[in-house]
Amino acid sequence: MKFLNSKNIQTIVIFIVVSGFLFLALSGYLTPVFNLSLNPLISLQRWLSVRYLSARDFLTTPSDVVQLREQNTVLESQVTQLQTQLIELEERLGEAQVCFALLDFGRTNPQYEYIAATVIGREISPFLQYIIIDKGTEDGIRYGMPIVTQQGLVGRVDAVIASASRVKLITDSTSVVNIRLQSAEIEAQLLGSLTGDLTLDMIPLDEIVEPGDVVLTSGLGGNYPPNIFVGQVLSTQRRENALFQTASVQPIVDFESINAVLVIDNFESIDISPLIPEP
Amino acid sequence: MISHLVCALSLVVFYTLQNAVFSQTTLISGTADVILLLLAAWSLQPQFKNVWLWTIIAGGLISLTSAMPYFAPLIGYLGVVSISKLLQVRIWRVPIFAMFIVTFFGTIYQHMIYILSLQISGASIPWRVSLDQVVLPSLLLNLIFALPVYAIVSELVGRIYPLEVET
Repeated sequence: MKFLNSKNIQTIVIFIVVSGFLFLALSGYLTPVFNLSLNPLISLQRWLSVRYLSARDFLTTPSDVVQLREQNTVLESQVTQLQTQLIELEERLGEAQVCFALLDFGRTNPQYEYIAATVIGREISPFLQYIIIDKGTEDGIRYGMPIVTQQGLVGRVDAVIASASRVKLITDSTSVVNIRLQSAEIEAQLLGSLTGDLTLDMIPLDEIVEPGDVVLTSGLGGNYPPNIFVGQVLSTQRRENALFQTASVQPIVDFESINAVLVIDNFESIDISPLIPEP
Repeated sequence: MISHLVCALSLVVFYTLQNAVFSQTTLISGTADVILLLLAAWSLQPQFKNVWLWTIIAGGLISLTSAMPYFAPLIGYLGVVSISKLLQVRIWRVPIFAMFIVTFFGTIYQHMIYILSLQISGASIPWRVSLDQVVLPSLLLNLIFALPVYAIVSELVGRIYPLEVET
């Protein structure tokens, strides 16, 4: 009976109590008790964790902001550089497109030799329609040379210095171009005006001119080579007792936005003014 | 000496701006004439002594490069400066107002000279169309640019002449 002494009984009781608790815990009977006892602990842990994380963020974030600001500055400078590059590339693309278009015109009209020039200014007086180009006698430009773009006729050289030339546009009020209408094979004169509008004059009354008819240079007079596109007829006007009918012409070239032109190098203009009797 | 240098430089700058920028910026068919505004602003500065010389230089330069006949730009600019001097002596003491008046009458005078010279040379320039399409839009543009040009010229003259007094 030495086995049932008080020490062994205490051990057995503890074992049974622990086993009972384990049994109750594993079988789920103690869950409410655990919840009641753990919930405050979890709440406390959450509170402490949130405060800790906040404190850590507070202590570590300023360095991140500085870093982010530096990165932002670098990125902004890169964006600025890229925007500058983009603008430059767009400008080059525009120039290249103009050059390609002029090249196309040169290929489709291989009988002429061309000198490409850039428009660098316009006549100071608003009453006249002239442009200034950056090629002069040093580049082979001479008085009277016809000027075209990839679209059509622009005008002719009116004055030349060593490194620049002044070009009288066909829209100038003193400009007269001999033309022919492609569809009807009619020859007439194209006149400029103060406002830059183009008018066909000297069209015989018995000829039928339709809107949309193509206007080409005729080559008469020797100022311009033949068969260069000028524009299209917009409308016709017949006046009573007039000897000829007139027509408005829409020019094919946009004279407000000419950036580059081609000077026809191998066309010799003929000055017939000495042959015209003075009144 | 400094004043001549600054005048020459400002004339070159304004001439370049006129040819490359203002002549290509149109309102209907009118354009601003900043050379006219420059001369008008110079002529309204009491300290500026060589206005006739620089008017002849500017007018000669424009006449040589322009397609206008009979030195019409030179005659036009001389007329503008004459109007400025005439009104400056007789009428007012408010320079900004003077600038606007000179711009107004100077622009109209200059355009009348242009129209007459072109008509004499045989160009077809109808008066009514000229007034509607060119003269009035140009007048409006000149009046718009008169104030900034006057401010620039006043600033330049104010900086030049104290320097010359010191030297």
